[in-house]
Amino acid sequence: MSDTPILSIRDLTAKVADEDIDILKGVDLDLFKGEIHAIMGPNGSGKSTLTKVLAGHPGYEVTGGTVTFRGEEILEMEPDERSQAGVFLAFQYPVEIPGVSIANFLRTALQARLDEGDELDLFDFQDDLMARMEMLEMDPTFAERPVNDGFSGGEKKRNEILQMAMLRPTLALMDETDSGLDIDALQVVSKGVNRLHEENPELTILIITHYQRLLNYIKPDRVHVMLDGRIVRSGGPEVALALEAGGYEEYRVADAAEAAEAARGS
Amino acid sequence: MSETTIIDQPIGGLMEGITDVLNATAVATLSAGEPSWLQERRAEAWSAYERTPMPTTRLEEWRYTNLRKLLKLERLGFDGIALDAATPADEGFELASAPERLRTAMEADREASGHLVEIDGRVVHVDLDAELAAKGVVLTSLRQAVVDHADLLKEHLATNALPASRGKFQALNAALWTNGVFLHVPRGVRLERPVRVTRYLTEGAAGSAFFNRTLILADAASQVSFVDEGLSADFDRQTLFSSGVEVMARDGAQVQYVSLQRMGRGVFHLQQQRTLAGRDSTLDTLNVSLGASVARTDLNAQLLGPGANSDMLGLCFGEEGQHFDHNTSQDHVAPHAKSDLLYKGALDGNARSVFRGIIKVHKGAQQTDAYQTNRNLLLSEHARADSLPNLEIEADDVKCSHGATVGQLDLDHLFYLMSRGLSRTQAERLVVLGFLGEVLSRLPLGGVVEKVTRIIEERLQQG
Repeated sequence: MSDTPILSIRDLTAKVADEDIDILKGVDLDLFKGEIHAIMGPNGSGKSTLTKVLAGHPGYEVTGGTVTFRGEEILEMEPDERSQAGVFLAFQYPVEIPGVSIANFLRTALQARLDEGDELDLFDFQDDLMARMEMLEMDPTFAERPVNDGFSGGEKKRNEILQMAMLRPTLALMDETDSGLDIDALQVVSKGVNRLHEENPELTILIITHYQRLLNYIKPDRVHVMLDGRIVRSGGPEVALALEAGGYEEYRVADAAEAAEAARGS
Repeated sequence: MSETTIIDQPIGGLMEGITDVLNATAVATLSAGEPSWLQERRAEAWSAYERTPMPTTRLEEWRYTNLRKLLKLERLGFDGIALDAATPADEGFELASAPERLRTAMEADREASGHLVEIDGRVVHVDLDAELAAKGVVLTSLRQAVVDHADLLKEHLATNALPASRGKFQALNAALWTNGVFLHVPRGVRLERPVRVTRYLTEGAAGSAFFNRTLILADAASQVSFVDEGLSADFDRQTLFSSGVEVMARDGAQVQYVSLQRMGRGVFHLQQQRTLAGRDSTLDTLNVSLGASVARTDLNAQLLGPGANSDMLGLCFGEEGQHFDHNTSQDHVAPHAKSDLLYKGALDGNARSVFRGIIKVHKGAQQTDAYQTNRNLLLSEHARADSLPNLEIEADDVKCSHGATVGQLDLDHLFYLMSRGLSRTQAERLVVLGFLGEVLSRLPLGGVVEKVTRIIEERLQQG
């Protein structure tokens, strides 16, 4: 591991574009090359917002702070530029695109990564796609189905990992990939992610989840607890286990005490 | 900024729409030398035109298309009479020396049972597979058909399907058509490849009116698909292109009619279509509207025999300065018939579209299945789509549904695609093609899907 983090977030604040109150209230986080981090936290703590802000969702507005990815400030970049730079977001709620097949979609996305004038090798593409679908135990006919249109929750999540496998990012943000998955699907998806990490040990992963369950299959190096727009605790995998046992209450209490202290100090 | 109040003129006199060149004299000149039945038919149609007032926006069917503003009949020339005398087809048409847009369009059509080419209202070329001709298939200019197939035309031309009585413009077309297409497929004959008609208006056509008719007769158990493509130069003066289309599918026949409207700017495209579907027949239509400044299509599908089935598909893609108006009706006369309509439009710039559709289930048409869906996608905040779906049901044992939506490009859709590395333009293109592609995938006729997809892709790329 190098000394410079691949992703460095400093005092990041952000809000929904047409609202006033910040959801992220000063996030600090460093991810080093090849690490797997997990952010846990209750609903509304801002953890999904963080992934959307990192990927450049136009519905959010950054109000302060910096995000550096591979030494480059990315907050001014369009979502497609971030993707081309190596950021991938596996959506919590993948969008349905009627009339556009998965194969066509992925072909276009991969073609967009090539220099002008370069043509994607369609045979290689087809081979790669079939191999990846097999890895994720997806039926080959899936490739011709419209993106997420009429997919079950599990199929949508597999499709996210399929895209991740095809696009080969350097940073994968996985937003509640485990939600809506039964145990079999969870295992398939986790196996897929682990496989990608084995193939490319430099792949850095940030997992957002409510539950410890997923972390039984994808082992994190670091676990962070997010509460009310801030990371309130960071540690090893034991943090997740403690959360599973004790919930978020102690952090809420700690948070309140800290706030009270801050108030007294001012 | 104040707007000038436009005081609506009182509903025009009965002679409305008669101009220095579009008048009874033109009808008489056109009729000279024609058989008396046709002379009478034209004269009757003209008199129906004279009797019928010009439609105004007070009529539900014309609510959003204001002809007073959009159609300038009095400025149009009409050279049809001089242009196409009863000259039979083929004047040594060479594709290589055809105008570029026409040539490109025709070169993309590899597979065909036959072709008919019409330039500035003149039929300049007809060919038909010799084997099909030997089986009795007829593909010819309408003028030639008046001579060679008088009995069939006397019975079917502007009578059963699209008589002058159906409206002002149906009457105008029936009175003033100068040429067109006649296709007859005899009983049991099946055409594997489509018949292709390509019509083109050259720059010299600017400011004139053109009237053509198409009559398709598919006898029992026959099968045919027909692709009617219209192109033109761009015009700085309004140029009228009026098409009357009559399609008849007899018992068990399978017919697909596709109109591919790719006219240039300045064209007012008027298209009146009526389809008659007999017992157990399939009569599908696809109207693709891409060009012209103003395009009005009226489609009335008659389900006349039990077991008849009509898929009615439509697609429009509009940009700055374009106005589309689709007016459809699904007329269920016979029981046990099915019609399924899907019209979709994507509009950019300040383009406008109107969809008005009605499902009419007549008394006694029990066990009818009739569906109607209109969906619109607005790509700009200045675009507008109006959708007016309607049902009129006089039977009690039917399955009918209708629905309409007008939506904008979804930010979440775009973000999803862009987060995979697609540029905004690529993302929009994929969403629009996916949206419109659903229509094309329902009638996967050779070459049409590819051609339309390519045209839309090119236009999205420019935008």
